[in-house]
Amino acid sequence: MVNSFFFIGLPYIAVFSLVAGSIYRFKSERFSYSALSSQFLESKKLLWGSVLWHAGIMIIFVGHLIPFLLPGLWQSLTSQPAFVVAVEVLGVAAAFTALVGLVVLFVRRILSRHIQSVTTPVDLVVLALLIVQILIGIQTAAGHRWGSMWSVQTTTPYLWSVLTLQPDLIHVDSLPPTVKLHIAVAWIIIMLVPFSRLVHAFSLPIQYLWRAPQQVIWTNARRIRHIAPVIRKAEESRRLFLKGALGLGTAGGLLTVGVMDKLVRFFSGPNMTPEEQAALLQKRLERLEMTAEERDLELERMRNDYIFVANLKELSPKDGKYFIDYQMRPALAYRDTTGLPLLISAKCTHLGCTVASSVDASGRILCPCHISYFDLKTGMPQPGSPATKPLPLLGWALMDTQGNILVSQAPDGRREGEVPADKLEASMVYIAKRYEETV
Amino acid sequence: MGSERMNAVGAFLRDRLPLSHFSYEEMVGKKLVPVHRMSWGYYFGGLVLFFFLVQLGTGVMLLFYYQPTVSDAHASVEYITKHVGGGALIRNLHAWASSCMIFCLFVHLLTTFAMKAFEKPREITWISGVILLMVTFGFGFTGYLLPWHQIAVNATKVGLQSIEEAGQYMPGALADFPRYVKELIQGEAAVGQATLSRFYALHVVILPLLTFATLGLHVLMVQLHGMSQGVDHPTGKTERFFPFFLLKDFSLWGLVFLAVITLALCLPFESLFAYPLFEPFDPLGSTPEGIKPEWYFFFLYYPLELLPFWVVMLAMNAGIVLLLAVPWIFRRSSRRTLSMIAAAAALYLVTMTLFGDAIYTFFKGVPG
Repeated sequence: MVNSFFFIGLPYIAVFSLVAGSIYRFKSERFSYSALSSQFLESKKLLWGSVLWHAGIMIIFVGHLIPFLLPGLWQSLTSQPAFVVAVEVLGVAAAFTALVGLVVLFVRRILSRHIQSVTTPVDLVVLALLIVQILIGIQTAAGHRWGSMWSVQTTTPYLWSVLTLQPDLIHVDSLPPTVKLHIAVAWIIIMLVPFSRLVHAFSLPIQYLWRAPQQVIWTNARRIRHIAPVIRKAEESRRLFLKGALGLGTAGGLLTVGVMDKLVRFFSGPNMTPEEQAALLQKRLERLEMTAEERDLELERMRNDYIFVANLKELSPKDGKYFIDYQMRPALAYRDTTGLPLLISAKCTHLGCTVASSVDASGRILCPCHISYFDLKTGMPQPGSPATKPLPLLGWALMDTQGNILVSQAPDGRREGEVPADKLEASMVYIAKRYEETV
Repeated sequence: MGSERMNAVGAFLRDRLPLSHFSYEEMVGKKLVPVHRMSWGYYFGGLVLFFFLVQLGTGVMLLFYYQPTVSDAHASVEYITKHVGGGALIRNLHAWASSCMIFCLFVHLLTTFAMKAFEKPREITWISGVILLMVTFGFGFTGYLLPWHQIAVNATKVGLQSIEEAGQYMPGALADFPRYVKELIQGEAAVGQATLSRFYALHVVILPLLTFATLGLHVLMVQLHGMSQGVDHPTGKTERFFPFFLLKDFSLWGLVFLAVITLALCLPFESLFAYPLFEPFDPLGSTPEGIKPEWYFFFLYYPLELLPFWVVMLAMNAGIVLLLAVPWIFRRSSRRTLSMIAAAAALYLVTMTLFGDAIYTFFKGVPG
């Protein structure tokens, strides 16, 4: 019964009061449809009260409005824990900001002699209600986490049920008392809107954000002549300074926090599990071994007159085997149609990329960097390729298993020795230092 | 006669180095920034400086973990990206900010040209700026190699090879000279440990020192001479450099930093390439497809691919000479003319950078 009153009856009374009261007040006392300014009576506390309160409540208002209007979007956003934490921290910070502002405004209303003379009881009631409401809100945020998540399943459907004239208590029935109180006080505040200074929220003074600054002061004709230029100048520079300082301060603060966070993490080094450490170490060891192998190849080429390339029978006419020549450049080894080795440099004569090893149907190999085709037999580039110079052919020597040279061929094709048909299959292909030097 | 000439030299130097302006009041306090339709151009030099500072900060941070050896370079970069807290962000920031820096540098070059900011007595500012441009390209080229992955090493090979290409146009014994120069830079016959060590030294010590010196001169000159008028018909409107222009400058830096950090957080620079390019360099394997220099070299790279080598080399050298001689060549040109030239240059740069690949495909029938 109590629930029905607070969550079905009260809402409709509040909304009716809001609409009817606003229309009545706007019709009858149009110029009171705002908040009575008291800036000229007291301005110092007003700055800290009003600015903090409005900054805080606007953030909170948006935070309450989005889950209500866009529950789907909100739900997907709040599925990210980081978002929930961020939005809740922002909300509570805004709540405290608003609370401080409200307390300043309240204290100002009851302590300043000038202000008291223009304060109505409703002003004080509204201020007190707002303070209470914010305290309940903070208590809700702290005691019943995380409101940004559960609100989509509870208060949002409830509000929609009220709005669509099918009020349904099921969504709010099981909520904790604090939350229920928060909702009830909200309806009371809404009910009071047309009868208090809160109506000024509907005047949506968005142009305040960019209009020229105004300040209400006590004045008379003599005074105005005297101080007007000074005030204008002071206001201009103060406003600029405040804006600049606020912007730079906030940005600088955020930046410092972010940068410090990253710096500390970066310099404190990684936090790795033993498995990760082992995997990393293994990888680095493999790379070191690779480098060592390369160095080994280099040393071998400095010391030896012949370098082993492959067993002849391993070589194929279609797919080359990579090896490293005496200049530490990549080269490819094939077996040509006569069964003899065919060794060709794999360093593209265009811009030095490594040529791919497979031979296409027309007997060409391809440098993939800029699409140069080379004839495998002659090394000549196909006309129109970016490369214009042929890939040099390399000399080779065939040895038997005892290390005797059976036959060798210079890069220009001159051959020494006869090809022994019987020993060919078992022979091994070498490159020879004496041939490299002539390349 | 002799003393007259000396006086002329003296006057020349006095005009270029107005050290009498070397005071807070002249350089900061009373400095005015002209306000006109090209005023936005005044911000780009500052942006380049800002990105340079970002590079300096992130670069020093990367130095803590990077290891410049053939066996460890790739693994250490991977270590930074995968394991060090915030490492991926720092590295991405370094990569993105480098591109942003070069972009702003292009804009700065073109706007200062169009605004005739090189006009007497600001020749030293212009020339130091051109040197900074070269140094920045040097940063880009040397930094590209350091991660020691496939694209890094192979693109460096391609870049260095083009030096050697010049040999074919040299007469007689000089024909070997470019190869000698290439190997001097490389440090050995092929791109290897020696190259990595050299590029590392260049990237983290020599080029930064060169930048500090040249940048110091550049900024000093800007402050000594004040802002150039920027348009043919000054509006007469100005704003104070301190604090108003500087505040705007800093706000812009803040916004840009936000944008770059967002980019660096959300989009690894490498996501713009196919993965195999980022495997460790394999000296025995074939070169993977899609080896290209960074986008800011496209304006040079695609012509190099399409035109005879000597044409591009000649054009490039002429371009450098032209850039250095701008203050004298365009001494009498109106800003209207200069703007049109700058617009044409911008059009060329944008076309080559965005559509270079398409142009290449169009002429060669295969993707570059």
